[in-house]
Amino acid sequence: MQNVSPKKKTSSPPRQGFGLLYNPFEEFKTFQVTKTEIPLDRIVQSTEQVMDQIRLGYEKLLEEEAKELVWMVQYNTIIKAYEVAEKYIREIDYSAEDIEDFCFALENTHRIPYLIPGPAGIYISALCNYAKEEELVLKLSELKTEINLIGFRLPKGKRLKVEGDTGDFTGIGLEGGELEVEGNAKNWTGAGMRSGRILVKKNIGLHTGEWMMGGEIYVGGRVRGLGNIVEGKVYERDKLVYPGKARYPNLYY
Amino acid sequence: MEEKRLQTLIEEMWPRLKKKHLYPEIPIPKVGRVIDSFDEKSDQEDSNQRVGLEMKEKQMTINPAFIASMKDKMSEENLIEALLDHGITHYTFCPWDFQTHLMLYAEAKKVLGDKESAKRAANYFIDVIADTHCVKMRETEIPELHRNLKKGNVEKVIASLYQRIWGIDMGLTPSQFESRQNEEVVRRLARIPYLDRSRWTESIRKFARSLKPLLILEEKEKESRGGGKGDSNPQGEHNLNHYSYEEIDEGLREYAQKTMGLSEFREVVEDFSSELKEMGYGIEAGMGRGRGAPIDADILFYMKLAEHYSIPLKKIPMEEAGTLHPHSHSPWEVGSPFQDIDVWTSFGKIMPGITQVWKKREGKGRGKVEEAPDCLIIIDSSGSMINPRKSLSYAVLGAACATNAYLKNDSKVAVYNFSDAPMGGREILDYTENKNEIYRTLCRYFGGGTALDLEDMMPLIKKEKKVDLFIITDMKITNLETLIGFFGKIQNRITAVHIGENPYASRFEKAVEKKKNINIFTVKKKEDIPHIVLGSIRQYFNTMQNNHSA
Amino acid sequence: MDIYQFISDHLYFNRPDIEIKGEPYNSAILMSLLTGLIKGKELIIGEPGLGKTTSAEFVCSLIYQFPLGVIWGSEVSGHPEQTEEKIIGRPDLGKLNRGEEDVVWTNFSQLPVKIVDEINRLPETKQSMILDGVDRGNWEYLNEMIINDEYCLFATANYQDGGTNTIIAPLVDRFDVIVESRYPGANLSFLIGKAQGKDKILRHRKFEKDLYRILKSKIAYEKKIPKLEEVCNAFGEYIDKTLGVKPLRREDRDQIRMEMDEIEMDLDASAFVRMFLAELSFCDRYGQKRIVENCEEGCHYTGYLCHQIKNCASNRLPTSIKQFAKGLAWFFGDSEIDIEHVKAVMPFTLSHRIQWKDEVLTQKERAKRDDPFQIFLAKEAVKTVSQRYREQSDHLKDALGLGSRIYQGESLEPLDGDHPIYIEIKKDIRHRRIR
Repeated sequence: MQNVSPKKKTSSPPRQGFGLLYNPFEEFKTFQVTKTEIPLDRIVQSTEQVMDQIRLGYEKLLEEEAKELVWMVQYNTIIKAYEVAEKYIREIDYSAEDIEDFCFALENTHRIPYLIPGPAGIYISALCNYAKEEELVLKLSELKTEINLIGFRLPKGKRLKVEGDTGDFTGIGLEGGELEVEGNAKNWTGAGMRSGRILVKKNIGLHTGEWMMGGEIYVGGRVRGLGNIVEGKVYERDKLVYPGKARYPNLYY
Repeated sequence: MEEKRLQTLIEEMWPRLKKKHLYPEIPIPKVGRVIDSFDEKSDQEDSNQRVGLEMKEKQMTINPAFIASMKDKMSEENLIEALLDHGITHYTFCPWDFQTHLMLYAEAKKVLGDKESAKRAANYFIDVIADTHCVKMRETEIPELHRNLKKGNVEKVIASLYQRIWGIDMGLTPSQFESRQNEEVVRRLARIPYLDRSRWTESIRKFARSLKPLLILEEKEKESRGGGKGDSNPQGEHNLNHYSYEEIDEGLREYAQKTMGLSEFREVVEDFSSELKEMGYGIEAGMGRGRGAPIDADILFYMKLAEHYSIPLKKIPMEEAGTLHPHSHSPWEVGSPFQDIDVWTSFGKIMPGITQVWKKREGKGRGKVEEAPDCLIIIDSSGSMINPRKSLSYAVLGAACATNAYLKNDSKVAVYNFSDAPMGGREILDYTENKNEIYRTLCRYFGGGTALDLEDMMPLIKKEKKVDLFIITDMKITNLETLIGFFGKIQNRITAVHIGENPYASRFEKAVEKKKNINIFTVKKKEDIPHIVLGSIRQYFNTMQNNHSA
Repeated sequence: MDIYQFISDHLYFNRPDIEIKGEPYNSAILMSLLTGLIKGKELIIGEPGLGKTTSAEFVCSLIYQFPLGVIWGSEVSGHPEQTEEKIIGRPDLGKLNRGEEDVVWTNFSQLPVKIVDEINRLPETKQSMILDGVDRGNWEYLNEMIINDEYCLFATANYQDGGTNTIIAPLVDRFDVIVESRYPGANLSFLIGKAQGKDKILRHRKFEKDLYRILKSKIAYEKKIPKLEEVCNAFGEYIDKTLGVKPLRREDRDQIRMEMDEIEMDLDASAFVRMFLAELSFCDRYGQKRIVENCEEGCHYTGYLCHQIKNCASNRLPTSIKQFAKGLAWFFGDSEIDIEHVKAVMPFTLSHRIQWKDEVLTQKERAKRDDPFQIFLAKEAVKTVSQRYREQSDHLKDALGLGSRIYQGESLEPLDGDHPIYIEIKKDIRHRRIR
């Protein structure tokens, strides 16, 4: 056993052999893993990166707009939230599938801790509006929660198809785009829409078309109640119900 | 002759393949006729050529007819290697075990809704993972195999997916792939992280969601063709044949433990019930013809869950005979007594280092085995308790744990399942060793009022000399006073587990607090019930052991 | 190997029970051969009368060229009244009466082959004495010592019954391997019954007498060895001529050991063994596994072997694995030890060293199996860890490679991973950095 003075510090490389300096990983020192990269790795990596960016944008939106995780649906809060969302998503290069993945990620609390339906819907609407594709399909039928405020300010030339049910304020403030819902929509559908087309294949809730300024709403199932419609048309099973017989809003006729 | 030649080929390449896959524990593949499960009755040559590989309980079989049919497109060695790479990867990577297979199927079914589509989606998913893993991690001819296989619509989409995610040309011409819908499907499928095992649950949902329209189309096309089971997978089907009985048993246990969800478990077991029965799983002992009783998925669920909570078998106690006898030698030291000196081994000398003394010990032999007493389980199935066939009932699980513990120690178990007993809401099972019957009685749910009928219970208690009682209830029993009086009179060991705090439970506790034979446990978290029950049993068995040695 | 084939065909009739490199082997013969070659210690368990002792005797006779009669005379039988004098040596009584000290060494201590029958019937002190002696090759009595240059130990044990003691954990840990001598099946058993006198083929009256004479003689032990070898070589030649199988001479054994020493583990085998050892010794909460400490509920590492066992793996385990894997690789004529060699020997080196938790025992005790319970559990454990290794082999080797570079001074970050081995790598590197 060699005698080595513990106080001497040398810069020479460690000696092999007995004692404290034996490298337990010696035999692996020349190992180089030959990683075979396939395009899947790159695709998954870039998908993850985009998802991280989208998630970050959402978290920043919540930080700014949903203090203490409370958010009230009001005209000014919706506008403000949308502006903030626009600010963050402009920098992200994403596709329609990323939006769909984000919708599912919202339900997974490991990935996104907070799902606050209002800001989430605004954020998703902003993502849809700024997507590169003109036609977007979101397959959301397995989502347990229904997204509110989807289709907010959908512009002309954009077509958004949602497979599954949507929540409240579907197509709110539509601006010429086409929104198709293959399931049910809840209340306040088409509220404040200016132009464009909403097609709901199944049923719709109350306050349909509240403050609607133009455009058309087609409902394949039943309309539970109409709101105060300013202008525009509402069809129930191909039958025009507004403008139609005068009746009170939100009463099933 | 042909089979022998192929077998020789396999034997030559097998050491290399094993090394490539880091020595999986599977036997050398064979060459032989493979039955196409989609066309079992057909004798046509054509049908026999469709499937290249069969996997049954880790034994892989290569179909020589398939090899012959592909002779013009691929060399035999490469073809066999590709098939074996695929088969081995199913064993080593995906799905690896039955629990994973079940999980993937269950997740696919959540999206697709029907059994057949879910099975097909799960099979496709498993194949994609296995092939992608092979292509990325090993040198393989799988891409070449796919290039040369005949493809239906879904297979074309999968091939296109492979083209995209492997970066290898799969020989698909644009004309073969004109549909925009297919293009969109491939785009979605390409984003899934197939090789990340931790995300397989969400990945298969995404996979099924994306593939759904194509599966529906395929189903419609099949129906328009006049039914039948569809096209077989040349790389082998993924059914329960892959697994041994023990693997299925373990898989179900793990799955029950992982999901802790009765309805999920039931759904999956019912979907696979015919395959499970074919494997002999769940069929009660005894000969006979006919379909036999269907597998009761609820009972199976509790059985599998209860297997996770277990206590060791009671050991046969060693008794000391009480008399000393010479056992071994130890060196004598100066000053030690002389009387135990062994003169012979000391060579007649009394000196340190030479002289040896006997060390004496008590003799030991097997003691008389005290049998574990039988067990009477009194379980409340009134409206305030959970219906065990609707959701997981920890009360029933606790009772199941007690059942297992006593049956394992060769005791019998009786069950008194009550709701409003005087009105007929009760089920009595006499002492038996039949596990299925016991579980069936435990899982019975009445959902009515809560009253015991002591006249039902008395015969069960008096019948056996020694009976341990377990009562699991929320104590909201209308004739609680009668029960208290009854327990006060008997000397049996009683473990009472009551769920939640309430005035009745407090009354019961107070009334029996002085009785040493009664242990009462208040359960705040229902998940604690099995542990409490087992703790009691452990204590009882230990007491028996200690009594013996005393 | 010829000796294996000869024993299997003529002496020890039993079914193959393991498959290595695509060939079936009987584990009792194979492990015994390796034990004999690498100077190891083997514990053979089994029901009474299933060939535990005879298998060891046959192996020792052919590997060390001792006639069976000599081996029989050197065996120590396990019963509580065994004494040191019967095991190691006794005073020369004649000289003792004259007041002189001299030791008459037993055959057991002098011969390189040591067989202890029913070791679990010996008291602990005697078990310890034998294992101590075999560990170092030294035998001491009355201040005199002999040193064995080469030695191997075969100990047999029946399953626990009323007449046996337990071999305590520190003692059982010193055995390199444990194997079961199984029931050969009704047909082979019948054949054994018919084939009487197979031990005679490994006997030779004259050579036995010569060997006894040498062993009894009063010359120094060092001088006895070459004489013993001479007779043994003659016996070996006799066996070769009459039976057609060539037992091993001293030079052959030395040559084999040298060749074995030169065989190294490939990277996969090394990484796999490290991964396995990590699972058997790691504890996130308490620093290492200890038998007195229980696992916490909800520990992150619940899925690993550390959660299923009570004790920590000893340092003897990797030594045994390496030695036997080297032996096996040599046996197959391979230039490197690969995972298959390691996986083949691991259950036998491991099963007696692990204490499983009760929950694991109760869950698996009723499982269908061919092996005795402890070996079955060890095989299952090896399978499970090998699956884990397959999934992350490259990442693990990368982590170890990086560890080596960090250890040599490069400032890199170690790789992360879920498995305990990654934590162990970081701990080793951290200690290096502190220095």
